Amino acid sequence: MNLTIENLTKTFRGKKALDIERYIVHSGEVVGLVGNNGAGKTTLFRIVLDLLKADSGYVKIGGEIAGRPFSCDTSRSEDWKSYTGAFIDTGFLIDYLTPEEYFRFLAKITGIGDRSLAERLAHFECFMNGEIIGRKTLIRNLSMGNKQKVGIIGAMLHYPQLLILDEPFNFLDPTSQLTMKYLLESYAKEQRATIIVSSHNLIHTLDICNRITLLEQGRIIKDYDRDYALLTSEIEAYFRGNVNI
Amino acid sequence: MKVVCYFIIAFWAVYLVVLGVSFYSLFKETALEAFDWIDGGLIWFLIADFLARFVMQDTPAQNIKQYKLLNIPTKFLLHTFLLRMGVQRYNLFWFFFFLPFGLLAVPQFYGVGGLAGFLMGWWMAFVLNSYWYLLWRTLMNRNLLFCIIPISFYVVLVYWGIFHSVENQWLFNASIHLMRGFCLWRPWAFSLLFSVIVLLYVFNYHFQKKAVYQEISKQHIDTPVRSFDMRFLDKFGIVGEYLKLEIKSMFRNLVVRKQFVNGGLCMLMLCSLFSFSNIYDELPFMRVFICVYCFSCLGVMTQTSIMCAEGNYIDGLMVHKETILSLLRAKYYFQCLVLIIPVLFSLMPIMEGKLTVLTLLGCFLFTSGVVFPCLFQLAVYNDSTINLNEKITRSGKNTKIQMLVSAAAMFLPMAFMFVLVEIFSEMVASIVMASIGALGTLMHPFWLKSVYNRFMKRRYQNMESFRNSR
Repeated sequence: MNLTIENLTKTFRGKKALDIERYIVHSGEVVGLVGNNGAGKTTLFRIVLDLLKADSGYVKIGGEIAGRPFSCDTSRSEDWKSYTGAFIDTGFLIDYLTPEEYFRFLAKITGIGDRSLAERLAHFECFMNGEIIGRKTLIRNLSMGNKQKVGIIGAMLHYPQLLILDEPFNFLDPTSQLTMKYLLESYAKEQRATIIVSSHNLIHTLDICNRITLLEQGRIIKDYDRDYALLTSEIEAYFRGNVNI
Repeated sequence: MKVVCYFIIAFWAVYLVVLGVSFYSLFKETALEAFDWIDGGLIWFLIADFLARFVMQDTPAQNIKQYKLLNIPTKFLLHTFLLRMGVQRYNLFWFFFFLPFGLLAVPQFYGVGGLAGFLMGWWMAFVLNSYWYLLWRTLMNRNLLFCIIPISFYVVLVYWGIFHSVENQWLFNASIHLMRGFCLWRPWAFSLLFSVIVLLYVFNYHFQKKAVYQEISKQHIDTPVRSFDMRFLDKFGIVGEYLKLEIKSMFRNLVVRKQFVNGGLCMLMLCSLFSFSNIYDELPFMRVFICVYCFSCLGVMTQTSIMCAEGNYIDGLMVHKETILSLLRAKYYFQCLVLIIPVLFSLMPIMEGKLTVLTLLGCFLFTSGVVFPCLFQLAVYNDSTINLNEKITRSGKNTKIQMLVSAAAMFLPMAFMFVLVEIFSEMVASIVMASIGALGTLMHPFWLKSVYNRFMKRRYQNMESFRNSR
């Protein structure tokens, strides 16, 4: 799946929160969206997922589905939803369900059978670390870290071709962060999916992404593509002193 | 909810005034004096008042939490809250009945002083009931199973005191004796009720003190959740999944459950009017009127805030295709299924010949085909998230459109039926209601799709508002 953004702008109370002229994420890329608080990462995700209206511009999701070309404007069609998985915050979780019920619900609405669901959940066993399934606890009573895990697994459950995760390493313990990294890497390889993650954890983001996009006050100020050595030093320099790049 | 509550209060106030006057006319030429019949029924009033308080009264433990941050002693706060409960306006609500009734029945025997005593006695009885209710409500907040104790208490008392022996209805006679004591300003009557009130007050004080600390230092007790799969709903596909959500939401979210219980209680009260009294037997309009409200009150009370619960996880739903349409369908089917409850309750008046099957069918279809489509329009405009487990019901969250639609859903059927029954007959009214309702019910895929399309047009505005009000 590829993602095309054209002339996207969003203003909140007179302040420009997003201003992206053109940005394309190609199929199979693992993109890390980095930037300080207020850079516009979550706003961009919300607009991409049609949860927020852009003042101007559009977002298109396209690719090839079952050998046929596919493309749609996310604000005008719902077709992209079948191929997209996302987790931004706890507003994605139905917190009065148990994790099992939540996964089953997601499986049903995305057309996954019971057996297939069990197999898919088995992939996440290590990530869940025995703290999620079988505890007979509602999602609202889980710790923030475990809620985060439930949301991430829910987003990946139907094997979406485009996966969007906002700060996936937040609230996770170090072991889970490492498992998360492994999960994302293997998911990108196995599913050949496009992944976009935003994170304040530079080390993990630089480790898993083959492209890093730096946002500042809603604008893309740098887009690093695979030049890893330059990327690492420049990104670190930016955040250390917030120097001009 | 607020507008619905106001409507219900206004409805019952008018109803009680009419009832007060009617009861006097009904009992004035019997072996006992009219006020004796009413005084003898003290226990029934107390039971009705106890039930009504579930809608009207919170516990101090729920309210006191926010004040604990201030430098005010708990002792003072508790006394203030408890005294306020004693003198709250709600304790005078039944005076809509007792004042007109008392004015007609008491002064001719006991003078104006007797009337004052009569009213004073009933007020004290309701103050007593207020503290009695408070005990059980606090316990029920801990565990709903505590409701068994007051239910058993009332059942045993009513059976033993009234139904056990027709010759010796001691509870009936004791109530008459006590209330006559008030009319005659006998000190023992005042002392008796005052002592019980003081006893309950003291008991409540110590009890609430514990409850406040439990509420403040509440440690979350993570009791294992009993997961229910409801596999039988699987055959309905995605709509079945949303039906499961509706049911689970009702069982696991305090606010949703409260809305349902309150609506259910209103439904039961209206059904009881039908089944256990004869006062409407000669009034076709009132018969149809109450029948329609038996069916629609639960829907009005729960669906006025349609989508507000979903506001908590609307983002998660919106990233899946057409989920809102399936959700609306599930909500509609669930509401239609709930209509089976008033159908079951209406079987008794049908068997007694008080109500015809046609009227019942008319009310059922009118609710599912006219009242529900009106209420579901709110899915487009409701944009304020409700906290699913908020213990204290906050008022004033109703939007203008919510107030308008819920008022329309309450008043329009009444006006419509009034015209039909007055101009034609109960049968014609039932046929017209059934026909219009059947059309609306059969058309549900279309109007639900229309609601969905309009929701999608307003989605950005609604989602932003939902997020901001979480």
